[in-house]
Amino acid sequence: MLTALPHPVWHPLQHFRARMNQWFVNRIAPRDTVTLTQRNVYILPTAPGFMLGATLLVLLVASINYQLNLGYVLTFLLTGSAVVGMQVCHGTLRGITMHLIAPDAHFAGANVTIGVNLLSDRRSVRYGIGLAVLGTQHWSWTDVPAQGSAKVQVAFQPQRRGLHRVPALTAETRFPLGTFRVWTVWRPAAQVLVYPAPEQHPPPLPPGEPRAGGQATVQRQSTGEFDGIRPYRRGDPLKLVVWKKTAKTDELVSRDAQQVQRFELWLDLAHTGLSATAGTSGGPALEQALSRLCAWVLLADKQGLHYGLRLAGQEIAPDSGEAHKKNCLQALALAHV
Amino acid sequence: MFNALKTLPREARDTLFLLAVIAWIIAPQVNNLPLWCSAMAACILLWRAYLAVRSFALPSRWWLTGLLVLATGATYFTHRTLAGHEAGTTYIVVLLSLKTLEMRTQRDAFVIFFLGFFTLLSNFFVSQSLPIALAMLLGLLGLLTALVNSHMPVGRPPLLQAAKTAGWMALLGAPIMAVLFVLFPRIAPLWGVPGDTPGARSGLSASMQVGTIASLALDESVALRVRFNGAPPPSSDIYFRGPVLTTFDGREWRPLRSAGLPSQQLSAELEVQGPTVSYQVTLEPNNRPWIMVLDATASRPELSGYRATMTPDLQWIADHPITELVRYSAKSNTAFRHGPQGMAAGLQDYLNLPANYNPRTLQLARELRRDPRYAGATTETLVEAVMQRLRTGGYTYTLEPGVYGTHTADEFWFDRKTGFCEHIASSFVLLMRAMNIPARVVTGYQGGQMNTVDGFWTVRQSDAHAWAEVWMAGTGWVRVDPTSAVAPSRIGSLVRLEAPRNVIAQALARVNPQFTVQLRALWEAANNSWNQWVLNYSQSKQLDLLRNLGFESPSWEDLTYLLIALVVAASLVGAAWTLWERHRQDPWLRLLHGATARLRRAGLALPDSAPPRQIATLLQDRTDNDGPDLSAIGHWLLRMEAWRYAPHSHAQQLATLQREFRSLPWPQRIP
Repeated sequence: MLTALPHPVWHPLQHFRARMNQWFVNRIAPRDTVTLTQRNVYILPTAPGFMLGATLLVLLVASINYQLNLGYVLTFLLTGSAVVGMQVCHGTLRGITMHLIAPDAHFAGANVTIGVNLLSDRRSVRYGIGLAVLGTQHWSWTDVPAQGSAKVQVAFQPQRRGLHRVPALTAETRFPLGTFRVWTVWRPAAQVLVYPAPEQHPPPLPPGEPRAGGQATVQRQSTGEFDGIRPYRRGDPLKLVVWKKTAKTDELVSRDAQQVQRFELWLDLAHTGLSATAGTSGGPALEQALSRLCAWVLLADKQGLHYGLRLAGQEIAPDSGEAHKKNCLQALALAHV
Repeated sequence: MFNALKTLPREARDTLFLLAVIAWIIAPQVNNLPLWCSAMAACILLWRAYLAVRSFALPSRWWLTGLLVLATGATYFTHRTLAGHEAGTTYIVVLLSLKTLEMRTQRDAFVIFFLGFFTLLSNFFVSQSLPIALAMLLGLLGLLTALVNSHMPVGRPPLLQAAKTAGWMALLGAPIMAVLFVLFPRIAPLWGVPGDTPGARSGLSASMQVGTIASLALDESVALRVRFNGAPPPSSDIYFRGPVLTTFDGREWRPLRSAGLPSQQLSAELEVQGPTVSYQVTLEPNNRPWIMVLDATASRPELSGYRATMTPDLQWIADHPITELVRYSAKSNTAFRHGPQGMAAGLQDYLNLPANYNPRTLQLARELRRDPRYAGATTETLVEAVMQRLRTGGYTYTLEPGVYGTHTADEFWFDRKTGFCEHIASSFVLLMRAMNIPARVVTGYQGGQMNTVDGFWTVRQSDAHAWAEVWMAGTGWVRVDPTSAVAPSRIGSLVRLEAPRNVIAQALARVNPQFTVQLRALWEAANNSWNQWVLNYSQSKQLDLLRNLGFESPSWEDLTYLLIALVVAASLVGAAWTLWERHRQDPWLRLLHGATARLRRAGLALPDSAPPRQIATLLQDRTDNDGPDLSAIGHWLLRMEAWRYAPHSHAQQLATLQREFRSLPWPQRIP
């Protein structure tokens, strides 16, 4: 399970419970839309529920001992209300249809928001329904209006890149008396793509490579025509700095003359400076290298450059734009070396 | 005020509501709580309300601990114990109010709710009357509302919404309550708590001091209710016998404390005559062992849980004080003789007079004895002479006679000439004894009022009365009611002297005197049904119910079985409902499935999820390929589709479709 971190101290009971929960979750068929019925809604008394039971017992004993007929009335009315409350509690969740809104791709370490639509065809409002990722305590509460729908958002934090299944969710209610907990566990079928986390302070973009078949030896020929801009590099003459753009973005940008025509920006796993150890073994160095590539892709996209991505055994031809960026990020997310 | 409430943040509003509910459930018992407890609870609740309105922080735990220690100590010093219902009530009220200062987590809130339920119950130690029950029902709904409200975490839902949910829950829970109340076996107390009988309630007293009955005379609360089988006896014969007072020390009348030998004491020697009056009495708890029955009752009244015995002076006594509402049947005869026929040694006790009291009364007795008119007169004549004096001597009946001095009889006979039954009876008996006629004071209730709503005869504490019994040779004890001579209307008529009423009651009575009587009759009837059906619902009534249900010899085990059977039946109904709900479908879908099933039976291959238009097309194909004419079904299916996807579909149209479904020419066989 994605969120189930190993307990620091091995505890037989907790271990057993975790295993039980795991088994329990795994036997639920994954679905993106689920209608809650008698079969998948569970109910158990809460601690206050047991407290109410004890209270009722004491009230009953007091009524018997002091022969208070009105005490019996009070005790039994409270019992009746609690029994009805149990039904109401179960009914609050039963009959709801939950519909998952497929989440967008996210970067590892960032919160992924999962939207859930709750639909009710009942003629009364359903109060106090909470949703959370199974195993966490971050509840988002909502009321579902009569014959209407409500949207709830829960978040989870994927730690690793890749294609992940949306974690199991749980919906819960304790309305109206808090004496019973009614809940359901739901395994959505949708998957969420998680990009590598972009490196915080990446080194500058690598220098361009000469276009295949071009004049590799020809260095910059200043023809006075500027074809594009690129980030400031040490040694650029001050007159090449585009000050207007710099003022807007707070980054030094230089004019790039003709480079685009002859040089192509390739973001290459081998050029990250971390690939020496990355090699074939994968592991943390590879992840770090992918993080750097990710940061570069974002940087290049931000500057509107043409760039290509080269991974072990995979190459994406230079291009620009949103779709290209997504392609590259997806390749990074799913890269395995 | 209301607007200010509306603008409060939700938390403050919820807290204020809960505080109001708590105040409401503590309020009815404020009179029975120690003063410090009521004051402390009020202060804490007000303080908490102030904190809530101003959104100030709650006091620290040190404050709470200090207050808790103080309250525990005060409870202990007030009651000398922490056990028992009085100390328990005090302590719970204090705890409940203190806990409101510590409402930090959900758990704290729950503790408040549960303490609130205990406080609700503690009100019933004091009173189980109808108004208290209604007030506590409101209190319970208030607590449930607050509880429901605390489980609506989103936004700021109106309290009315929570109240509605709570109300529905209570309403739907009421049948469960009714079944449990009727069938839960009433068992004896599991254990007794020493010194824990409910506080004394007003009633007749065991002794009579001038002035004690004065307060009772103003008390309009009900002492007992009677349902006569048949016509009630004349009101002037309705005397419920209470304690008989014989020994007088100049200030106070007490029951007989004889100086003579036990063997010399008089026995009842009761002989009843005439028609027997049979009736049922519902006696309010009087905290005394007195069983109120009509004069005179020869056969033992049957009370469950009590053993009744008759004293030599004709009073019926239970073996322990009556602390709860009891109901019993009795048979009495208003015509009877009792007491010794001839002079007996025991009669000496009824002639004793305290020394140095009432010299002028003794003088009056001597004068009467010396009066030539009464020379050799019988006791009867002498009694009549004194009664005549009461009638014509300018004596008046009043509820406000003022405080009497040392010589009460002298003051009555000569100075004030006014008083109520107890002064009159006491003075009369003293005069009789001074004339050497054995006499005694009898207390009890006289008269009453027929409730026209439910036909019950109601006797109130204000019907408490004192009269005299005089011993006559050859007859025994004879009842003489001297009050009837002073105020004939006091006896034998429904019109009684009433206590001064408050302004509203006076105004009401002026507008329509019948109205107040009617209103009171209605109220009394409601109260009486309450007593009969709720407060007096006992094990014997439970067993009666079982007998009516056809059990041969019911026991409390049968009650348990019946209860279990009902629970099982309810569970089965619940399970059936669940099954039914699982198979419940949209009526349109069911109709479509019906059509699909019929067509399949006729041999048409149809997928499960075939929509009406697809089926209609299929049918059209068959019709075109020289099959039977299925166009009617096809049109019907298209109408089905139209109904389903119409912007406004009406249930009536669906009903039409259902009717058409039954009359359609369904084919037997589709080739």
